[in-house]
Amino acid sequence: MSLQPDGRIVKSNMTLSNWVGFTQEELLGRKFHDLLNVAGRIFLETHFAPLLRMQGFFNEVALDFIAKDGATIPVLANANERRDPQGDLLFTRVAIFKAHDRRRYEREILAARTATEAATRELEALNASLEVRVRNAVEERLRVQESLTRERELAELREQFIAILGHDLRNPLAAFTGGIRMLRKEQLSAQGERVLDLLQGSVLRMSGLIDNVLDFARARLGGGIGLDIDDEAPLKSILDQVVGELRATAPDAVIDTDFSISRSVPCDRLRIGQLASNLLGNALTHGQRDRPITIGAVTENDALKLWVANGGQPISPTAMERLFQPFFRGEGRRPQEGLGLGLHIASEIAKAHGGTLMVESSETETRFTFQMPLAL
Amino acid sequence: MSVLRRNNVFTFGRDGRPMIFAHGFGCDQNMWRFVYPAFENDFKVVLFDHVGAGGSDLTAYNSEKYASLGGYADDLIEIGRELRLRDAVFVGHSVSAMIGVLASLKEPQMFESLILVGPSPRYIDDEDYVGGFTREQIEELLSSLADNPMGWSAAMAPAIMGNPDRPELGDELTNSFCRTDPDIAKQFARATFMSDNRTDLPNVPVRSLILQCREDIIAAEVVGQYVLRHTPNSQLVILDATGHCPNLSAPEEVIAAIRAFV
Repeated sequence: MSLQPDGRIVKSNMTLSNWVGFTQEELLGRKFHDLLNVAGRIFLETHFAPLLRMQGFFNEVALDFIAKDGATIPVLANANERRDPQGDLLFTRVAIFKAHDRRRYEREILAARTATEAATRELEALNASLEVRVRNAVEERLRVQESLTRERELAELREQFIAILGHDLRNPLAAFTGGIRMLRKEQLSAQGERVLDLLQGSVLRMSGLIDNVLDFARARLGGGIGLDIDDEAPLKSILDQVVGELRATAPDAVIDTDFSISRSVPCDRLRIGQLASNLLGNALTHGQRDRPITIGAVTENDALKLWVANGGQPISPTAMERLFQPFFRGEGRRPQEGLGLGLHIASEIAKAHGGTLMVESSETETRFTFQMPLAL
Repeated sequence: MSVLRRNNVFTFGRDGRPMIFAHGFGCDQNMWRFVYPAFENDFKVVLFDHVGAGGSDLTAYNSEKYASLGGYADDLIEIGRELRLRDAVFVGHSVSAMIGVLASLKEPQMFESLILVGPSPRYIDDEDYVGGFTREQIEELLSSLADNPMGWSAAMAPAIMGNPDRPELGDELTNSFCRTDPDIAKQFARATFMSDNRTDLPNVPVRSLILQCREDIIAAEVVGQYVLRHTPNSQLVILDATGHCPNLSAPEEVIAAIRAFV
């Protein structure tokens, strides 16, 4: 269509008439913007008319025509001004393209773009929070790992130190034992004999402590307590020897024995002796002195059962939980003795033999029971 | 960010009386390209773009500040202060006519007079008041902006909106005048067409000239008459020009009317 300088239609073709439903005569003298919806009119007046004036044309402007029957017709419009040599406007040509499909596609593109932008923003937000969380988790993990490594190095150093110390203490102790044995052969006064007994008890106790310390360190460093299994030698004699040694260190204590071992027991006898010695030592330390201590061993129902019982105050439930942990020491009923390794080593020896070490404690009695299965 | 950079301010002419031109909803300071040169010899001419339009700094756009015309009036005052304008002639087209009215209420000594080109204190009809549009029509306009950014076909829009930082492309690009960020255009349309400044007109502290076109569908003649009746010390000139942009379609008439008034 062609517009005169004031915007009125002076010429239009049949195609346009067919689209909008107005005859060519009806369109004559109407203004271009009369064919548009309100938004289109406002756009035309505020944007495209100025644009046309400034650059002499506009291209691909999306507008909506309103047909005579009220239907909306999406179109694209191109416009060109024609001016005389003085620059005065002669007329404006407007080419209209139906753009129903194209405008629909554009709306879809726009909707897709809006959705994409929203999704991108959401993704960015998610990524940002994820990065922060991952960073925090990694930092935390590194911190834990670092402190764990430091802890492990320290523990290893401590255990090495213990192993070396224990080993070096054994040599002077062996010299003590040799010295005591030589003095036994001398003619001594009653006083001298008593001092020698006390010395021997102390050496024994010290040797037990060193054994425990070395076993603990060895178990930690080398993975478990090693056994030297022997099923020939009788078990009872080693138990008697242990009881004898401890009676010597605590002459005023009463230690009753109840051994009934009717078959051979495949075990590391020295280790079982150490277990018994540790349990007895524990009973001597924590039990009530004027009540007898009982140590018993029995083979029945294809199992070896060895127990040590003493009287005195029961073990508290909190202490019970940590009883077999290394370096655990009872709650000061008497001056602290030992390193707190005795029960731990005993339970390790029990485990190494495929057995268990259990404890029951009541007002009347505290009883440790070692039990190991015997092959048929 | 300086005010002058933010609003893409240009000054021309001698150090005479200031005359500041403000564009309306639609394009940018290019709207005045056929008018302002006529005043360069006698006035200090000031041109600027509202934030969101033309060469303004789009990052300065703030939805809250520019939700109503007051935010634009504050910018106008800031430009005036920066340039130390006093007794200026303010020429505002379309919605900027009311932006000038608001600024004159806040900073009376900055303005000697207001020239209101196609002003409308309210676009939506209200009881006896005729604004030219029903509320439904304005709602239709605002919702159509959602899926059709300002009548540009969507495929075209990215090319125009994509280069706000490369003004050197501007002159080469067809349709590059009147480029607008779609989101800002939407909000500016709302601030413009939902505005109601009828109660401000009686308080205008300076004289004013109303330039009214014939057959202006945005601001009809009855609206111009309304502004005349309610603005003290005002006069109305009806131009022969038709449409809403006489500054482009009939610059000589606009220049003559302004010259006669100042």
